[in-house]
Amino acid sequence: MAGKIFIALDRLRSTLDKLCSKIDLLAPASSQGNKTGPTAFMPYRSGVVPVLDRQTTLPLKKILLPQAETLLRYEYCKDPQDPLKAALSLDDRSEVRPTLVFGARPCDLKALSTFDRVFTSGPYKDPYYIERRKNTLFATLVCREADGACFCSSVGSGPADMEGSDFRITGIEGGFVVENLTEKAPDLFDSLGEAPTQDQQSEAGRIIEDVSQYRIGTLDLRGNEEAFRKRFEDNEYWQKMAAQCLSCGICTFVCPTCYCFTITDESDNLRGERLRSWDSCMFYHYTLEASGHNPRPTKLNRYRNRVGHKFSYIPEKYDGLLGCSGCGRCIRNCPVSIDIRQAAGQLKENVCDRQ
Amino acid sequence: MNELHKLVEEALPELDMMIGWAESSDPLRTTPVFINDVESISRLIWSPFCAQNLTGYLVKPPAPQPADKDKKIGICVKGCDSRSLVALIQEKFVARERLHIFGIACRGTVDWRRIMLQVPRSNVKSARVEDNFLLLEDTDGTHKLKLEDVLARKCLRCRYPNPVICDTMIGEPAVLRISPEDAYRDVEAVDQKSLEERLAFWQSDLDRCMRCYACRNACPLCVCQDQCIAETREPRWLTQRTGIREKFLFHMIHAMHLAGRCTECGECERVCPMEIPVTLIKEKLNKIISDKLGYTAGLDPNAVPPMLTFDPGETGV
Repeated sequence: MAGKIFIALDRLRSTLDKLCSKIDLLAPASSQGNKTGPTAFMPYRSGVVPVLDRQTTLPLKKILLPQAETLLRYEYCKDPQDPLKAALSLDDRSEVRPTLVFGARPCDLKALSTFDRVFTSGPYKDPYYIERRKNTLFATLVCREADGACFCSSVGSGPADMEGSDFRITGIEGGFVVENLTEKAPDLFDSLGEAPTQDQQSEAGRIIEDVSQYRIGTLDLRGNEEAFRKRFEDNEYWQKMAAQCLSCGICTFVCPTCYCFTITDESDNLRGERLRSWDSCMFYHYTLEASGHNPRPTKLNRYRNRVGHKFSYIPEKYDGLLGCSGCGRCIRNCPVSIDIRQAAGQLKENVCDRQ
Repeated sequence: MNELHKLVEEALPELDMMIGWAESSDPLRTTPVFINDVESISRLIWSPFCAQNLTGYLVKPPAPQPADKDKKIGICVKGCDSRSLVALIQEKFVARERLHIFGIACRGTVDWRRIMLQVPRSNVKSARVEDNFLLLEDTDGTHKLKLEDVLARKCLRCRYPNPVICDTMIGEPAVLRISPEDAYRDVEAVDQKSLEERLAFWQSDLDRCMRCYACRNACPLCVCQDQCIAETREPRWLTQRTGIREKFLFHMIHAMHLAGRCTECGECERVCPMEIPVTLIKEKLNKIISDKLGYTAGLDPNAVPPMLTFDPGETGV
């Protein structure tokens, strides 16, 4: 059947080898070249060991929003006749190549639905993001690896949610069934393997059915817009939720949904580049104004903003969509075990039970 | 646990606030807790999962300001944490008489990432340490892991498992796991590599750095915090570029500012989401300070760290 193939486990890497000659391929891997250590989506080439048995340490956001992205390069050329005069040349060319992300997870894609609203709708459309988004395909795993920090069902998604994905990867006995879901590149996988047998197809169907029923996370974190506003000035609440915060940038940097950036000109003498780079609302400098005034001077102000942005401001602006995909990375990686499920989940409650 | 609760309860009338550890939503990790009432004392715990060094909270903004100036701040410290306290007292960031130090004899803390290596994809329900094993219960059943396979690297090389300063001691003194001369064996292993290998090692490891600044913010002795020159635009030492040059420079700034001050509590390494062994850099500097100047940080509250003074008669360098 067209648009559906089976990749046996022992042929995964040879299949990806073939695939990466057709399209730039990114797959979850460890920078240490083996199955241990932190993982991220890395350029796949022959020899890379794909790590598909767990969520990546870093989300895929840097594929669409690089940590530092050159918006333009500039150079001043002095006029030899009049050195006070300089001609400015600008170069804002960028090259975006068609790319396939293999082994994304539903929470990764859920985060992109927020990115899409922010960067592609409304009065400000971001050409850099749009170009990358248009050229990137996603093959997403039906996720069966939830751990104690996962809560995708709490944000209106789930471990089998394929919204935004171009291909579905379902792990079955002995391998993976990959099936096409969109019109973007329907035959990309066709020549790479045999069609799944009837048994394999029905096993995949059963797994998708089962996983669709999983509920990952007990709370429903939607609909907190109003509750957050009421909590805004409840300093005791924020003190209880974030007194232990270190003001580091881990939660925002590992978050697939955090998109805040800064723009700086980085020059070396007469030439330089204008960079857009990740910023973090957890940093003191994020809101520091030129006058020296800082509207969010303490970590409590900053943590409150993080929760408010994700569970109140974004949903208010974008029809209830949350700025959180429930991936759990901020919980897993927080050095002091702050759990955003508590801060967001108790907004509506009269009392909170966390110190 | 009851001993801790009892001792804190006894001291509570003289305390404005007590800083300790409490359970978190993850059985493998604890979270800092700040309490000032008797009812909350039961939340305090001590276990090998209490990995965090709490002493930074005494000096990082907003540092606790006691409502009652005659009252003290209570704080739980392990051996390594107590050395950070000594360094903070030396540098006059905290006053010794303002503290009530609950010192805990420590047999090592657990590194959750090492557990995940052995029990990947685990949905942990409960975990506890018994003798030399970690017993972990997850959806697949019970796992029995050797403690030495899940302890933090800093604990495997620990020379000071017992608090070097405290008002109230909790637990029987712990014995060393290693002989003190082996404390720098990890640094020595890196030193054994050729220059090219060392360069490759640090390039590969530091390249993972995202400059989230968790290592800096978790460090109890990185007291510049919001004024750190890694982030200021004036002066501007670092750009927003993501190359290895910027990452390397940041870590050198961090390490050099800690030369001879770092007490090797390992917080920088513990918090790193990219698992970069950043404490190694500070260990190397400390080894140099120890070899050349015979000084070990965080032992004597009255000593002056060698890089914070000038001695014209210095013979070590």
